[in-house]
Amino acid sequence: MEEEKKGTQLSRRSFLKGLGGGAIGTAVISTGLAKTDSVDAYSAESVGASGGKTPITLKVNGKTYRVEVEHRSTLAEVLRDQLELTGTKIGCDRGECGACTVIINGRNMYSCSQLAVWMQGKDILTIEGLAKGEKLDPVQDAFIEHDGPQCGFCTSGQIMSGKALLLKNSKPTEAQVRRGLSGNLCRCGNYNREVAAVLAAAAKSR
Amino acid sequence: MAQAPKEFSVVGKRITRIDAYERVTGQARYTGDIQLPGMLYARVSRSTVPHAKIISIDVSKAEKLPGVKAVIHHGNAQIPWSSGGHTHQRFIFNNPVRYVGDPVAAVAATDRHIAEDALKLIEVKYEKLPHVLDANEALKPDAPKITPDGNLSVGKGNFSAPIQETWGDVEKGFKEADRVFEDTYITKHVNNAQLERRVSIAKWDAGKLTVYASTQGVSNARTDIAKDFNLPLSKVRVVCKYMGGGFGNKNQAQDYDYMAVMLAKVAAQPVKLEFTREDDYVGMHGRWSSEQHYKIGVKKDGTITAVSLEAVTNMGAYRKQSGNLSGTDFYQIPNFRKHIKPVHTNTVVAANYRAPAYPQSVFGFASFLDQIAHEMGVNPVDMFMRNRIQKYKSKTPFTSNYLDECITEGSKRIGWSEKWHKPGTRGGAKKHGIGMALGGYPFRPGLGAATIRMNPDGTAHVLVGVTDIGTGAKSTMAIIAAEALGIPLSQIQLTNGDTDVTPYSVGESGSRTTPFTGPAVIAAAEDVRRQIFNLAAAQLKVKPEELDLRDGEVFVRATPAQKLPLARVVARAGELIGRATTNPSFKDVEGKSFAAHFAEVEVDAWTGHVTITRYVAAHDSGTIINRLPAESQIKGGVTQGIGMAFSEELIIDRLTATPINPNYRDAKVPTHLESPEIEVIFIEHYDTFGPFGGKVVGEPPITPAVATIANAIFNATGKRFKELPITPDKIVRAVRV
Repeated sequence: MEEEKKGTQLSRRSFLKGLGGGAIGTAVISTGLAKTDSVDAYSAESVGASGGKTPITLKVNGKTYRVEVEHRSTLAEVLRDQLELTGTKIGCDRGECGACTVIINGRNMYSCSQLAVWMQGKDILTIEGLAKGEKLDPVQDAFIEHDGPQCGFCTSGQIMSGKALLLKNSKPTEAQVRRGLSGNLCRCGNYNREVAAVLAAAAKSR
Repeated sequence: MAQAPKEFSVVGKRITRIDAYERVTGQARYTGDIQLPGMLYARVSRSTVPHAKIISIDVSKAEKLPGVKAVIHHGNAQIPWSSGGHTHQRFIFNNPVRYVGDPVAAVAATDRHIAEDALKLIEVKYEKLPHVLDANEALKPDAPKITPDGNLSVGKGNFSAPIQETWGDVEKGFKEADRVFEDTYITKHVNNAQLERRVSIAKWDAGKLTVYASTQGVSNARTDIAKDFNLPLSKVRVVCKYMGGGFGNKNQAQDYDYMAVMLAKVAAQPVKLEFTREDDYVGMHGRWSSEQHYKIGVKKDGTITAVSLEAVTNMGAYRKQSGNLSGTDFYQIPNFRKHIKPVHTNTVVAANYRAPAYPQSVFGFASFLDQIAHEMGVNPVDMFMRNRIQKYKSKTPFTSNYLDECITEGSKRIGWSEKWHKPGTRGGAKKHGIGMALGGYPFRPGLGAATIRMNPDGTAHVLVGVTDIGTGAKSTMAIIAAEALGIPLSQIQLTNGDTDVTPYSVGESGSRTTPFTGPAVIAAAEDVRRQIFNLAAAQLKVKPEELDLRDGEVFVRATPAQKLPLARVVARAGELIGRATTNPSFKDVEGKSFAAHFAEVEVDAWTGHVTITRYVAAHDSGTIINRLPAESQIKGGVTQGIGMAFSEELIIDRLTATPINPNYRDAKVPTHLESPEIEVIFIEHYDTFGPFGGKVVGEPPITPAVATIANAIFNATGKRFKELPITPDKIVRAVRV
C-alpha cells in the first residue's frame, strides 16, 4: 500500500510540479524554492488555463457527479472545490501527509496525488460517505471513543486508512494497524489513540 | 497550598470531545474549507536569495495573465507587520529581503493554479548583499549586518538582549563545589509542522473587514490587524471555529492574513490565501536553534552549587519571540547566571513552538546533569531527585509542587531500580538503556472573559473567545461551565472563536486557556446562578443563599424536596445572561506544572537505529479537568519530542542559503512507525489557585522528552550525544561495534 502511494505521488509530482523527472529525489529540487527556471521560460501563453477543461463523471460516495476539470486538477482539489466535500483535507499537496486519503476502488490513496481525469469510472469513498445515514461507521465511533482527533486535521485520512485496512483485513494486529496507517501523519502525535481506535473498531465488527 | 481533589460531577472524568462528531464525519469546517461567493485564490512568491536589495519588481506579465485580479509587493503594499518583528520594522514585503523565503509578492486569481502560474511571471531583480547563516559568525565584528544595529537582536522590553538572569553568587557557588564541569550542547531549528497549512480568507463589506483566520487567538489577531491597517476594532472581525494545529506558530495575525486583506481590498473580492507546505516550512517560523555552554558546580553527592549558562540562539532574519532558554527551571539552583544572545542570521525565522524556550534547553541541561551524575558515580534518579526545584529561583514557593511524586511514581512504573545499569553495559549489538529528565511549564493566571446565556428551556449557551487548536479547549470550557452551573454537559451549547460574537480570550498559546478563561467561565456561571436563585427564592419563599442548582433543578439545600425546574425559573425571565471578566493574579507565589519522564530504549549498534521500548510520562498538572484529551496531549507532546530527538532539523544549504528539506518527508517528522505506546500518569492534587484545581497540560509534555530519550541512549551506549538530532549515522560512528 505504501509503495503504491509513493509511486503515484512521484508520477504526479513529475509532471504537475514541473520539476523534471531526472532531478526527482534530490533535496534541493524538492524545496520548490531553488527553482532556477528563468522567467523568460514562461509567458502568459505558455502557462495558465490554456489547457481547457474536460468533462468527466465522478462516482463519489455512491453518487454520480458530472464535472468539468482541468487536466492538472487533482482529485483532492475537485472533491473540495467543486463537490464541496471538504472533509478530505490537503495537508502537504505532495503525497507525504495523508490528510487527503480517500478510498478508491477499495484501497486507500492520496487524493492529492491522483488527477481527477484519471478517476473516470472509479468508485471513490470519502469521509462524508462513511456513515450509513445517522449511523456512524465503527471506525468513526471508535475515533470518538478513543479521542482520535486532537486538532482533527489528519483525522479524515486516518479514518479512511483505518477503514481501508479493515476492508482487507478484519482482524489486524497492532503492528499491522501501525503499518496500515503509517502513510498518515499526525503532528499532534496522537498515534496511540488512532491505532487504539482502529483496533477497537476491528474488535467491535467481529 | 494543595488539597485533596474535591468531589466533582463533570470535572475529572474521561469525556469525549463535544465536537468529536463533527471531527470524525468531515463536517468540521476549518478555515480552508470555507468558500465564499466570488472568492479568489492567492499564492505567495518568495525571495530566492538570502540578502539583497530589490532593484526592480516587474509584475506586468503576471497581471496580464487571464484570471489574475491583484498582485501586491513592497512597491504597492507596504503594510507594517508589528508582531512579525521586534527589533527593526518588518513589513509584509521587505526590501531588502533578508532570507531565502522572505515574501516578495502575492497574487490573487480566479483559480489557485492561475495564481501559481502568475508567480512564475513575476520578475525580480536583486542586488545581492553579503549574508551570514551561522549565529556565531553573525556575532563577529566584520559580519554582514542584517539590521542597522548589527546582529545581536536588541528589541524593547521582552525582546531586549542579551537575555540575562542572575541570583545568588555564582563565583561563590563554584568555589563551594567539589567539582566544576563545563560543556556545550547544540540544538537545531525544528518546524512546528502542523497539518493544516496556513490559510486566511479576507472579505471587505462596506468598510468592515472579516478575516477567517487559522489562528490560535482571534482577539489578538483582531488587535494586530486593526493596528497595522489603522482600523477601529469595531471594523474588524476575526473568526476561527476549527483549527488544524499550530503549536505556537499561528498565534496573533501573520503576514499571510495581511496579504489576504490587501489582495481582497485591491481586487474588491474575497480572497483565500493558502500557503504551500514549503511556504509553511520557510515562510513562518520554527523552534530557535541554540548553542548552550554550561558551567555547573556540584558537591560530591551531586548537589548543584552553581550554574552558569552562556548561549547563542539563532532567531533568523527577524525577532518574533524571546530566544530564551529555560531548561534550568526545574532544578534547585542556589547560585545562577544566564547570559543568552539572540542573534539575527539570514535564515528562516525562529519563534514559538510548543513550550518555546524549553525542550532544546532541557536537552542541554538535563543531558549534562545526567553526564555529571555518571562522572560523580551518582544514580541519575537520585541526581534528579536531589536537585529538583522546590522554590522558584530558590526563593518563592509554588502554588503546588509534586515533582517529587512524579519522579517516584514514574520511576516505579518503569522499574528504574531494577533496570538501570552502568552506561553501555547491557546487551551486545542491541543495547538496552534507560533514561529520565524533568520538565514542566509555568502556570500563570490572567485576563479572561465569558458569557453564559441561560435559555428558557434550562439549557445554557456558553460564549468564549477561545479557539480549539486540538487541546480540547472547547470541551474543557463546556465542562467547567457544566460543573459551575450545576447542569449536565449535554445541556451546554458552546460558541467560540468569533470576535463579533464571543468575548475576549488571550489566545490559545502558552498553556493559558484554562487558567485565563476557565475562571471567567466559573464567574459567569456564578453570576447567572445568582440571578436564578434571586428569581427562584421569591417563588419558593426562601432566601437566595439557601438555594442550590443541580441536574436542572433549583432546590432548597436543607429541604431538597422544595424545588423548581430550572427551565421554569428562566422562562419567566425570558432569558438570563451571566457574564464575567476575571483577572486573577499571584502574589508571593509562582505556578508551575511539573513532569518527570522515563524511557527505555534499544539501540542497534550496527544500524544506529533506536527503538523506544517503553515510555512513561508522569505529570503534576493539578486537577485534570478532562482526562481523555489531557492524556492525548501528553502523548502528543512526547511524540513531537521524539521527532526532535531523532530526526527533525531544517537544513540550510551553505552555498545557496536555501532550506533544502522544507517538507514532511525530508524534515522527517515521526510517523505511526516511530511512535511507541506512551504511558501517562497524572499525579493529581487540587491546586487552590487553578480553576477547579487545574494547572496546565499543553506545553509540559514536550519539555523533558528530548532529554529523556538522549539520556536513555547514553545509558545504552555509554556515549553522550551533545548535538541534535541524534541520527543513526551519529550513533554508528560513536558506538563502532
